[in-house]
Amino acid sequence: MNLSLSAPEAWDPLPTGAWDDAAARHLLRRATWAAGPAEVGRAVSEGLPATLDRLFPAAPSAWPKPPLVAALENDMPAFRQQAAQASDAVKRLLRREEVERSQVAVRDMGVRWMELAAVPENSAFEKWVLFLSGVYVVATEKVKNAAFVYRHFEILAQGALASAPSLAKAVSRSPAMEVYLDLVENRAHAPNENFARELFELFLLGEGNYTEDDIKDAARAFTGYRLQPGTGRFVFAPRQHDDGEKTVFGHTGRFTGDDIIELAYRQRAAGAHLPKRMAAFYLSDIPLPADFLLGIGDRWRGEGNLELRWLVRTFFGSRLFFAPEFRGNFIKSPVQLYLGLVQDLGLKVVPVPRLVLNPLRQMGQTPFDPPNVRGWVGGRAWINSASLAARREVVERLFAPFDADTLTADEVREVDLVRVGEAASFSVPDGFLEPWATLEPEAVVARLSEEFLAIPPEAAFLDGLRQFLKTGARYPTEHKRRLRRAMMTVFESPEYQVC
Amino acid sequence: MSSHQFPPPAPTTRREFLRLSTCGAGLLAFGRFAPTFLVNSARAAAPAPEKDRSILVLVQLAGGNDGLNTLVPFEDPDYYRLRPTIGIPADRVLRISDTLGFHPSCGALQGLFRDGRLAVVENVGYPNPNRSHFRSMEIWETASGSSDFVQTGWVGRYLDSACGGIPTDSHDPLAVHANTPNGEPPTLVGARQHPTFGLAAAGTRRGGSEESRRILERDSPEGHTDDNVGFLRQTLMDTLVTEVRVQKLLDGYRPNGAYPSNPFAASLRSVAGLIAGGLPTRVYFVTLGGFDTHVDQAPTQARLLTVLSEGLAAFQGDLRAKGLDGQVLTMTFSEFGRRPGENESKGTDHGTAAPLFVLGSRVKGGLLGSAPRLNLPRNQDLSFSTDFRSVYGTVLDRWLGCRSKTVLGADFPSLPFV
Repeated sequence: MNLSLSAPEAWDPLPTGAWDDAAARHLLRRATWAAGPAEVGRAVSEGLPATLDRLFPAAPSAWPKPPLVAALENDMPAFRQQAAQASDAVKRLLRREEVERSQVAVRDMGVRWMELAAVPENSAFEKWVLFLSGVYVVATEKVKNAAFVYRHFEILAQGALASAPSLAKAVSRSPAMEVYLDLVENRAHAPNENFARELFELFLLGEGNYTEDDIKDAARAFTGYRLQPGTGRFVFAPRQHDDGEKTVFGHTGRFTGDDIIELAYRQRAAGAHLPKRMAAFYLSDIPLPADFLLGIGDRWRGEGNLELRWLVRTFFGSRLFFAPEFRGNFIKSPVQLYLGLVQDLGLKVVPVPRLVLNPLRQMGQTPFDPPNVRGWVGGRAWINSASLAARREVVERLFAPFDADTLTADEVREVDLVRVGEAASFSVPDGFLEPWATLEPEAVVARLSEEFLAIPPEAAFLDGLRQFLKTGARYPTEHKRRLRRAMMTVFESPEYQVC
Repeated sequence: MSSHQFPPPAPTTRREFLRLSTCGAGLLAFGRFAPTFLVNSARAAAPAPEKDRSILVLVQLAGGNDGLNTLVPFEDPDYYRLRPTIGIPADRVLRISDTLGFHPSCGALQGLFRDGRLAVVENVGYPNPNRSHFRSMEIWETASGSSDFVQTGWVGRYLDSACGGIPTDSHDPLAVHANTPNGEPPTLVGARQHPTFGLAAAGTRRGGSEESRRILERDSPEGHTDDNVGFLRQTLMDTLVTEVRVQKLLDGYRPNGAYPSNPFAASLRSVAGLIAGGLPTRVYFVTLGGFDTHVDQAPTQARLLTVLSEGLAAFQGDLRAKGLDGQVLTMTFSEFGRRPGENESKGTDHGTAAPLFVLGSRVKGGLLGSAPRLNLPRNQDLSFSTDFRSVYGTVLDRWLGCRSKTVLGADFPSLPFV
């Protein structure tokens, strides 16, 4: 890729004169899920700095603990007590029930998060939390405890815009992380290297910026991290901790886990690592050159004081972020595709795990459950013939009338709660098509691509759409049917898959 | 290395792109789930399979399979010293020589070994091993040196090389994969774009209607760019055409003998169906994951090796009954073996070299390479004795009929398994 900027100027703020409709659309599609006309208008009139303040607020709206998670937490101590006195056979049954309840709660939590993230005011912040969850990965498949997974996301959300070392320290105490990377198995005389390795390789520094000996000694520093039986709260067990001298990054001392995190952030590579992950998540699947990453990294460690808010503001406000070579060529993640459609079509996320999470899994991304400790690779890895078929199927579902008869009793209850409270719509109503029905085919096609596509489609595609709309245009019912189908085809097009 | 560029350059013109993307060598990769597109209107009848093809099936054991408990040196006291709790007792090992035996879950593989259809290459690895899952898998997938960073996969480069000058108008899938955790395996990525095809996860319906399909199915010059949009356009085009054909083959497939009911075996069943259907595909890629056994290794590895062993045996039996076994060579690989000394969690940490399996009726069965030395201190790793690129080189030169040096950049000593 040819970059239009040099490393020193790349991270300077975007000049005020360059902030226009196109720039606002770019920011909204990349930092949130969609760029509706009203949102674009508001952002342009407010200006970039005010828009960033609004997208990443000082006090983001809290995510109330999902009821199933609360119930599980509440019942757990009694559950464990019962198990302690039971026979082995009953113990197994109880354990299975616990795991099953946890699975249901995690799926419920997944949909609730999608609903939260679909609200335009929350979109940028929740997308940022999703990004952090792809860095500080835990997999529910191994953690098997919904309360731990929820707590992990609470930790990420609470520290999302605060100091990066504090967030890393909080994550090292996250019960889900303790289990996922075997910290609970890490003992003074039998260190388990799993956490220490991923801390350096994936969370803080990146490959090539540490030695095997650094990992071995760092693992010793993280001994003694334990979870309290019953409550699952983090506790430090001094007797399990290896208090001896360790040598990490050339420094020798009787380091604790927190010391190791501080030492890692003193490495120059730590400044560049998170921006590198951000660029891969928000900007481009082609890695930025090292001098660009070190450029923002050095400033982040200096004037930015390793504050995540500084990093977000600098990144999304930079000349580089808005450079022409980064416009309209980034492949949407499955979550972005889904929530972008929901926002573009003015819909609500249907509060039924099966109907939301299954399509996401088929497209290759389940929130809270990355495929492995590396998180989601993104870019072209999202796209293959199977995932493209699944993407098109999502469009078909959102345009098909919502059929409540296929729901289970529990699902109906959830849907009714939302319906009564918010008069929600889960699929595209006829009313959505009204403003389009009076337009000529030429105008429909032009407006569809202007409003919903980040790049112009091929001429052959537009011709095909126009022809399709002209046929049967005299018959109102047939015209509406064709209008609906033409819109669906635009959302199923290759061009809609990029932003 | 002077006569050709390594890796080869990307295509520069639309004509070259089209030639490359429709050449004769194809590739299919499978993940964990059975395909379930609903395709109603497939019409094309499958042609008879060619009689003299050579097809490679790659089986990726993701997570790092523990080699020492897969191929157990049951006469070596050092083995039991290093593994006081997870070592497999000599009387439970399935013997294949005086000193070595398979894990008790590998009964079906032991049978194939006795029949002379299974070669076991011992202690395969590479110099200066890396213990990161991702970096080490990348080294295996790109066939690079430990400190080199290569953007293309070894099979991708094979396709780059094999695809030169084979112009056809076929829309058959050249690269196909399904539900591998991160989409297309890097092994398959070439310098040139080879259309890939993935099979959908269970429960997926093929999206879209015939009307949308007709508008989307277009082939205009401006679509063929090498950026992400061009990639999406090309992938969608190939997908629309291929879906119909692949599903037709799989729907009509009747295997000989039962496959175990697990996703890995279901993927192998689909591979057999596409081979039997005569798809011009030379390489298939199937993943079995979960081998990262840091904690309480024994039950997990036993389960996974059962899945592997029984799945491969069912696959081999099916191919044999159909007279296709002479066309197929199956090979396993994993990003690394595990530490010889067990850890305190009854598991093993990331290590280095491990054995790999090569299976097929034209394979010369038996033990190859040499066993790792185990008189090591507790936390030390194995030193490899066979470079994995020797295995790749042998497959390229003697099975796929492709000069290995063009793919691997150098000559590696070949092994006598074919």
